[in-house]
Amino acid sequence: MPVIKVNHRDVHIQELNKGAAETVLLIHGMFSNLSVYYFNIAPVLAEHFHVVMYDLKSHGMSERTLEGYDLNSMTDDLYALMEVLKLEKVHLAGYSFGGLIALKMAVRFPEKLRKLVLIEAPDPNDDKTRGIIEEYSREFLEHYVANFTDTTKVKMGKRQMDRNHRMYEYLFYQTSIKKDMIQESGFFSAPEINTMQKDTLLLYGSASNCLEAGKQLHQKIRKSDLIPLDGDHNIPIQEPVMIAEIVSGFFKN
Amino acid sequence: MDTIAKNKQLNNDEIFELMKQFITEVIGEEFVEEMDITPKSSFTKDLEMDSIEIVSFSEKIKTHFGDQIDFTGWLSAMDLDQLINLNLEMIINYIHECQS
Repeated sequence: MPVIKVNHRDVHIQELNKGAAETVLLIHGMFSNLSVYYFNIAPVLAEHFHVVMYDLKSHGMSERTLEGYDLNSMTDDLYALMEVLKLEKVHLAGYSFGGLIALKMAVRFPEKLRKLVLIEAPDPNDDKTRGIIEEYSREFLEHYVANFTDTTKVKMGKRQMDRNHRMYEYLFYQTSIKKDMIQESGFFSAPEINTMQKDTLLLYGSASNCLEAGKQLHQKIRKSDLIPLDGDHNIPIQEPVMIAEIVSGFFKN
Repeated sequence: MDTIAKNKQLNNDEIFELMKQFITEVIGEEFVEEMDITPKSSFTKDLEMDSIEIVSFSEKIKTHFGDQIDFTGWLSAMDLDQLINLNLEMIINYIHECQS
């Protein structure tokens, strides 16, 4: 597996179409990994772009870390990754928590970005987002699997359930992730978001709990478009090809 | 000749054994011991592999066969239902076709 050292830690990356002129960098969400893009979204983008995917710390096949889940640390990691890969400037897309990392990157290091896509980025101040963090348990995971099978098509077996459960347990009860996330609750009120100049595309599920967050961002980000798609928070799994084509078209023009 | 050894064509049984070896490396011997892996085994239902494990498996195929086969490209053409129903036999057949 392609594993590289970034800030002295192992980071799992995948790249497609290395020879292309422009790069698209994709950030996955919390409790997920780069495979959310790998099979259907990345190959479509790779028809025109160099595509880079990476596993966030403690996710997928990247090294586990006890601390540093706040958006400053996560964007420091991303900045360092770009330095290691010698990427001057990229198109950036992030899903869910990865969308918050992408937005923070645009606010902190605008010189590193061309255009920005936020897919289902949640408002960190939303009670439902925080509620999931507070109420997590094995029962929650089992309920999630039982009730969202139709929309995510995820059918988790015992080994997968155990693996996922261990990751949740590790992230929630051993790392600083909960504390770090709660500290970010005011992020959408940061004045820098209102003055951001990047062309931004906001993709949200029309039946998603996060759609309100998309509307908020659309009001705040001057050069933004909001496109609601059929589906809920799981739109990258429900509509991967449509998302890939919309994102590719946005980055190309 | 060296080139023959390097590009040696594998028969279906040999491909199956190689796939089993990759699966063992990805999910661990302790889990594989409890499974009866056959060519009909599906990746998600029978082997309970999740997508990051399939990424890892795909990497192993790429590393082993190099440019001889475009395994990731083949997988990416599938929709989610096809990926969920993917079984070893389909992969064995695909690799076999690429070799011939």
